[in-house]
Amino acid sequence: MMRGIFRKIIREVWVGTLLFGIAFLLIEILLNLVLPQLLDQMGDMLDSLPFVRDFLGALLGVEVEGEITAQLMQAFVWVHPVVLALLWAQEIFFCTRFPVGEIDRGTIDVLLGLPVSRRKVYLCETIGWLTSGLIILSFGALGCMIGSRGMDVETRPEFRFILLVMLNLLCVYIAVGGVAYLVSSLCDRRNRAVSIVFGLVLASFLINFLAQFWEPAEPIAFLSVLDYYQPAQVLKAGALPMGDIAVLLVLGTVSWIIGGEIIARRNICTT
Amino acid sequence: MPVITAREITKRYGSRIGVDRIRLDVPEGTIFGFLGPNGAGKTTLIRLMLGFLRPTEGRASIFGLDCWKQSHLIKREVGYVPGDMRLYPWLTVRRALRIAQGVRRDDMIRRGFALADRFHLDTDLIVRKMSRGMRQKLGLILALAHEPKLLVLDEPTSGLDPLMQESLGSLLRERAAQGCTVFFSSHTLSEVEQLCDRVAIVRAGRIVSDEALDDLRQRARRELVIRFATAGDAQRIEPPAFFRLISREGDRWTGELDGEAGRLGQWMSGLPIRDFTIGLPDLNTIFRAHYQGQEGTE
Repeated sequence: MMRGIFRKIIREVWVGTLLFGIAFLLIEILLNLVLPQLLDQMGDMLDSLPFVRDFLGALLGVEVEGEITAQLMQAFVWVHPVVLALLWAQEIFFCTRFPVGEIDRGTIDVLLGLPVSRRKVYLCETIGWLTSGLIILSFGALGCMIGSRGMDVETRPEFRFILLVMLNLLCVYIAVGGVAYLVSSLCDRRNRAVSIVFGLVLASFLINFLAQFWEPAEPIAFLSVLDYYQPAQVLKAGALPMGDIAVLLVLGTVSWIIGGEIIARRNICTT
Repeated sequence: MPVITAREITKRYGSRIGVDRIRLDVPEGTIFGFLGPNGAGKTTLIRLMLGFLRPTEGRASIFGLDCWKQSHLIKREVGYVPGDMRLYPWLTVRRALRIAQGVRRDDMIRRGFALADRFHLDTDLIVRKMSRGMRQKLGLILALAHEPKLLVLDEPTSGLDPLMQESLGSLLRERAAQGCTVFFSSHTLSEVEQLCDRVAIVRAGRIVSDEALDDLRQRARRELVIRFATAGDAQRIEPPAFFRLISREGDRWTGELDGEAGRLGQWMSGLPIRDFTIGLPDLNTIFRAHYQGQEGTE
């Protein structure tokens, strides 16, 4: 029964997923290619422009003291705003397709005219979303491996470490996607849902960024999903921050469950 | 046992009422017309029946299953054409049937292609390039291809040309003859009159009439013109209670006859009448009468 729904989902998202994946691959290759030059120039840059240290620290979510290590810079390719923007854009696009996208364009009448429950469609959509996330992150990891081939063996990141960062990023992906599904279940207009989720991730990014060098933002830093995304720590410790992972997974799962319940119980009006 | 049953079903949107305490039974194998103007609550009732809307009060069931809680089970045997047919822009007849077959696990492609042939619709044309009528045909194919026991059609002829409307009518009659029940919503009296066995008229969210079309025809007024032997006869004779006299000119009466014509014959016997003409039952008058009440109350 789910075969037909999957067929429809694949038809709708394969091009987008492929394009986002290729974009992610290219960005990671590019960032990894420029990383050694960036690392060489970083010392001079920090001497002449001291605020760069704060900016870098804000992006990485850690205090950047002393010399910038290759390992710390490696984390930079996973927190670069373009990387996060690509990932979030893809999941906002995906997670607002059902139910709000279908309601907005009126196609939900045809979809739910089929003998399939709303919960089942939601489950299929979720499987599709997680699969597309894994595909895109795999493209990113591949890009990182390809791009880092030009690095010295000592500075080149180990695959195991890339995998750990990817897992942390996947948890961010799940948290944001869960919230996006919740917003999607509450709205009747897709552009409204997209705006709300975009606003939330932007706020999340800004809070996390500002909290590093603006004291008043520090107490609310825990509200940002990026507060629980620590590639620098992961690369340093070689282990996942389990507490942060748990927070992200709980946020994503709880939002997703509430979203599913709302979808199953809400009225669906297309006019 | 009725295929569709609604008991005191009500849907409110805040202070606005969509449908109000509707009670309805749709017998198996009938083509049931659901007639009312735009905004009367036709689509709201259909959306309640198909589980898109949760009733504020009351309940509806199809095949004995609850329309809200078991809607996905009900839809196994239901074909639905929404009033505003909006489809995925990348869809073609072929792709749509593949998806539907993947969900219904039925031989939909073969039957769907036969329907596309009957409706003269290219199976590889994408929705983006289809006219409104073509999209409507695709919706009908999707609703009919699994040979459902119940068809719920919300103003299905909008966008179809007269020939195709006729073709759809004959297809629905064929299906009804095979035992399929058709719930046909429309705001056009003439198509309901041509197609349906039974009709419910909805006004401001409430059903104001629900009866067999033959009964409705018997109640409907007909135009009647009577010519008497002389103008004096026409002036002298008093009209009976079942005849509403509109004008008396020369030797001629023009008016409306309520109900069946049998008693007219009895009344006319023995009177100096030269000729008379009687029109077909005018359902439009009944339909309008129901709506004149609405204008007075709103």
